[in-house]
Amino acid sequence: MSDEFEPKIIAFCCNWCSYTGADLAGVSRLQYPPNVRIIRVMCSGMVHPNLVINALTKGADGVIMCGCHPGDCHYIDGNMRAQSRAEAIELMLEDFGLEDERYRLEWVSASEGPKFAQVMQEVVDRVKELGPSPYA
Amino acid sequence: MAKVAEEWLNICGGCEISILDLGETLLDLLPSLEFVHMPVLMDHKYFGQTGEKTELEIPEADVGLISGGIRNEKEKHVAEEMRKKCKTLVALGSCACFGGIPALANMYPKEELLETVYRDSKTTESNGIPSQDLPALTDKVYAVDEVVKVDVHLPGCPMNPATILEALTCLLEGKPFELPERSVCDDCPTKREEKSDVALKRPLQDAEFVPGEYDKMRCLNEQGILCLGPVTRSGCGKPYLEGEENVPRCIKGYMPCRGCFGPIRKGANPQVEMMSALSSIGLDAKLIEDRRAFLNRYIGGQNRLRPLPPKVRR
Repeated sequence: MSDEFEPKIIAFCCNWCSYTGADLAGVSRLQYPPNVRIIRVMCSGMVHPNLVINALTKGADGVIMCGCHPGDCHYIDGNMRAQSRAEAIELMLEDFGLEDERYRLEWVSASEGPKFAQVMQEVVDRVKELGPSPYA
Repeated sequence: MAKVAEEWLNICGGCEISILDLGETLLDLLPSLEFVHMPVLMDHKYFGQTGEKTELEIPEADVGLISGGIRNEKEKHVAEEMRKKCKTLVALGSCACFGGIPALANMYPKEELLETVYRDSKTTESNGIPSQDLPALTDKVYAVDEVVKVDVHLPGCPMNPATILEALTCLLEGKPFELPERSVCDDCPTKREEKSDVALKRPLQDAEFVPGEYDKMRCLNEQGILCLGPVTRSGCGKPYLEGEENVPRCIKGYMPCRGCFGPIRKGANPQVEMMSALSSIGLDAKLIEDRRAFLNRYIGGQNRLRPLPPKVRR
């Protein structure tokens, strides 16, 4: 076992685009770090900021939110809600003394398996640089 | 007769005054209470009356009351001794329950605070950080329940006499005491329209109101005056004197709630919930001055306020 810091990353993926994108990354046998725990949600817009803050203050080192590209949302404007929530979440991270890079919002469509794998790699690399969450 | 020990730690003394505010009711209570230790009233020393003992000692008691949070090693030691000697331990006031106003200092590292006060102060002559015969500061301000187990929490800055009376009566009769999990808004008589069309006001600006007619006043948040009512536990307005109305205490003075009763339930996230409460009526949380301190004014202990990490850049 190496002593390198292995972060815990929570990924919220929307059912219609991003979760299918993650599925595609899987069936295409793309490699991405195993630090990511995927949680399927019906829409990125349904994830309350409380859930993100709770994740980060109760053990997770980073949170990535994946939704459909603008205009592609199954519920018309759910991903736009996620975006306006992302702005509020950034303020809250500041209040909680967390680096704003521990949260990221990314659009991943159902056909973007390689993008999903690449985004996960980027997030894990970045959080490894930041180190463990001060709440961990 | 129940033995009572009272101790004040990192505090202003307002909570003790609040006990006096019980007024004549206190006289009815006194025959059933025996105060064995109370620095604010009695000359009872920690190391024996003439300093002959070597270890800190507090007499045994049935009920221990602690007001104030923990800022230095002496206070920590006293809190631990209180826990050892008291059967039931009560945290009196917001400082003991959540850290209170002094816990705003948790936004900065200890070294930075000492530098500011003892070295960089522009208004006083600084002679360096005193070190002799003084207990060392703890790394941050703690609520009492972070250091020892607390059985009953009585928040408030200061507490409401009606709540003290209820809690003391429960303790004397051996019943459990817990404040209801209601928000200040649940008890607030003001008129709500669920939307706001004004800009945020500065804290010193007045609200619009008709004196004495609380139900005709518009909700203060909707008037653009930041009120922590939506995320604060209710109980401050509980009537004590005859003819009093059940109106939250700050609202009674046409002022916004400042959040001294703390979170509505254990584990609640008042910071996050306040932001959603504000955006749901259309106010912009980005414009709040000194947002972290405002949202944590009385609850900075228990790890809620902490120094910000140095900005990490790509």
